[in-house]
Amino acid sequence: MAEEAIRIENVTKRFGDFTAVDDVDLSIAQGEFFSLLGPSGCGKTTTLRMLAGFEVPTAGRILLEGDPVEDVPPHQRNVNMVFQSYALFEHLDVQGNVAFGLKRKKVAKDEIVTRVAEALELVDLSSRAAARPNELSGGQRQRVALARALVNRPRVLLLDEPLGALDLKLRRQMQIELKAIQREVGITFVYVTHDQEEALSMSDRIAVMSDGRVAQCGPPEEIYEHPREEFVAGFIGVSNLLEGKVEPGGKVRIGDDCLPVPGLDGAGNGDTIQIAVRPEKVAVDEIGADAYAIEPDMFTVEGEIESKVYLGVGNQLTLKLGNGSRLVALEQATYRMRADEQWEVGQKVKVGWHPEHCMVLS
Amino acid sequence: MSEPFYKPRFLRVFTGLVYLYLFIPIVIVIVFSFNSEKSLQVMQGFSFRWYSDFFNDPTLMDSLLTSVQIAVLTMVISTIVGTALAIGLVRAHSGTAKGFNILMLVPLITPEIVAGISALLIFSQLGITLSIWTIVLAHITFSISYVTIVVRGRLATIGTEVEDAAQDLGASKWESVRLVLVPSLWPAIVAAGLLVFALSFDDFVLSFFTTGEDAQPLPVRIWSMIRFGVSPTINAVGTLMMVVSISAVALAVLVPRLFGRRESGVKVLTGAEE
Repeated sequence: MAEEAIRIENVTKRFGDFTAVDDVDLSIAQGEFFSLLGPSGCGKTTTLRMLAGFEVPTAGRILLEGDPVEDVPPHQRNVNMVFQSYALFEHLDVQGNVAFGLKRKKVAKDEIVTRVAEALELVDLSSRAAARPNELSGGQRQRVALARALVNRPRVLLLDEPLGALDLKLRRQMQIELKAIQREVGITFVYVTHDQEEALSMSDRIAVMSDGRVAQCGPPEEIYEHPREEFVAGFIGVSNLLEGKVEPGGKVRIGDDCLPVPGLDGAGNGDTIQIAVRPEKVAVDEIGADAYAIEPDMFTVEGEIESKVYLGVGNQLTLKLGNGSRLVALEQATYRMRADEQWEVGQKVKVGWHPEHCMVLS
Repeated sequence: MSEPFYKPRFLRVFTGLVYLYLFIPIVIVIVFSFNSEKSLQVMQGFSFRWYSDFFNDPTLMDSLLTSVQIAVLTMVISTIVGTALAIGLVRAHSGTAKGFNILMLVPLITPEIVAGISALLIFSQLGITLSIWTIVLAHITFSISYVTIVVRGRLATIGTEVEDAAQDLGASKWESVRLVLVPSLWPAIVAAGLLVFALSFDDFVLSFFTTGEDAQPLPVRIWSMIRFGVSPTINAVGTLMMVVSISAVALAVLVPRLFGRRESGVKVLTGAEE
């Protein structure tokens, strides 16, 4: 791993009786795009605010590039934050906002002018340098907040749901721009969001938080493909949860069916475990017809179509299996499909998935 | 009925009468302040003689000066204290602060006569000689509430993140208040100050109870003049007082708008004077 930018060591934060952050242990590398992902109240913003210095940990240590900073006040930390509300200074114009941090640090005047111009260039706002925050659109205000933080060349940039207030289209566009800016400046980004798609598409690594603790931490692919617990599987994307009993030979019995599941190492025979399958990994075929979606090495069971939702790019099918459990399958429309090929509700079908797409949850 | 939103004519007439009732006394004062003769019934000609009487009367001029001094002192002190109080009350997040928020309203609903008598009793109990300072102290008691209420409203819309942002960008706690919070509150502070100026300038009851040997403030002076017969000069004084009060309130309304665009970008950026 590259050099460490942030180390959070067994940090706990309590507000009275409420434990907001519970024994969190994380290490974030230099130049990494790191996301804290979770529902509201999971402790992600409190963690970020401890990194910025607005909250002091109840227990544990926070190290920025190796130096402990728990007791360093916010204005003396070499990190900057982009706030959810942007928190622009309405009484200053755009360049006044961006110059604020540099002026506090007593940077020479001509250097301030150059650096402010560079920062505004970076976020594509040079033409609005003299505008007041209240004359800008939401997206532009967001860029000012970003420029105001980046101009200080912090070691770490903290972002608290920075795109939360933007509409979907602008959000998508800003996601791409943010990622590009991060690559360009090479600063470590710690990004707080409750939007799983945002976290998956932008991050190098994600820490999924729930009830103040880190449920799982890893690259997006690992979090999505190999969630370790039900909360992660359910929060990131949609998952079909199936309960079964472990049988000898790496198999799991679900009702009458016995399916091979890789990664059962920890579980003993007879244990009840939960496994999850992503809807897009479930293939559905007509009974009796030639195999179309189902591949030879898939595990298959029979089921019945209980409901069908047309999504444009495909169909979302709810399937009832022989043993009574339900599965959601997301059938992607492809160039091979004909527009008039439609499933009937109540139709008996063959359902299959690759054993390696079964995720074992603890 | 064919017209669903039929407006009966008598309502317009009635509205007109209400406005006449409200404004006729004021209009009469203004009109007769320009009367060339002493009559308060018949307008005989146009002149500035009552205004010139007023400006040539040393006691009245003293009173005017006193009133302005009192209003300015009250404005400055209560804006500073009231703003600090508003920031403290909003940012304290404690149960006690909630209680004090309600207490803030008490000076506004206390009958002025009660406030005046209690102020007088306190000053005499403590052996404080009545002067313009006792008037200022009395005026401050109710003015702080106005300032706090106006500034608190603005504070609520600003939120705490701007102060956090200032500190995040290298400002100490005090600098974040001085450089970001107070400038953001400035329109509200100025508006509240002007409002307080107007209220203090034309206050009679509190001033009456707390006036000492010094020159009396204008409203008290007018009251004592009337006891010795009504002179048309009073119309001129009244008109002038109205102009001052209306100007202060109008400014209080306009100032927040004027603040929309204030400093040029270059000045903010480098701190240089252009």
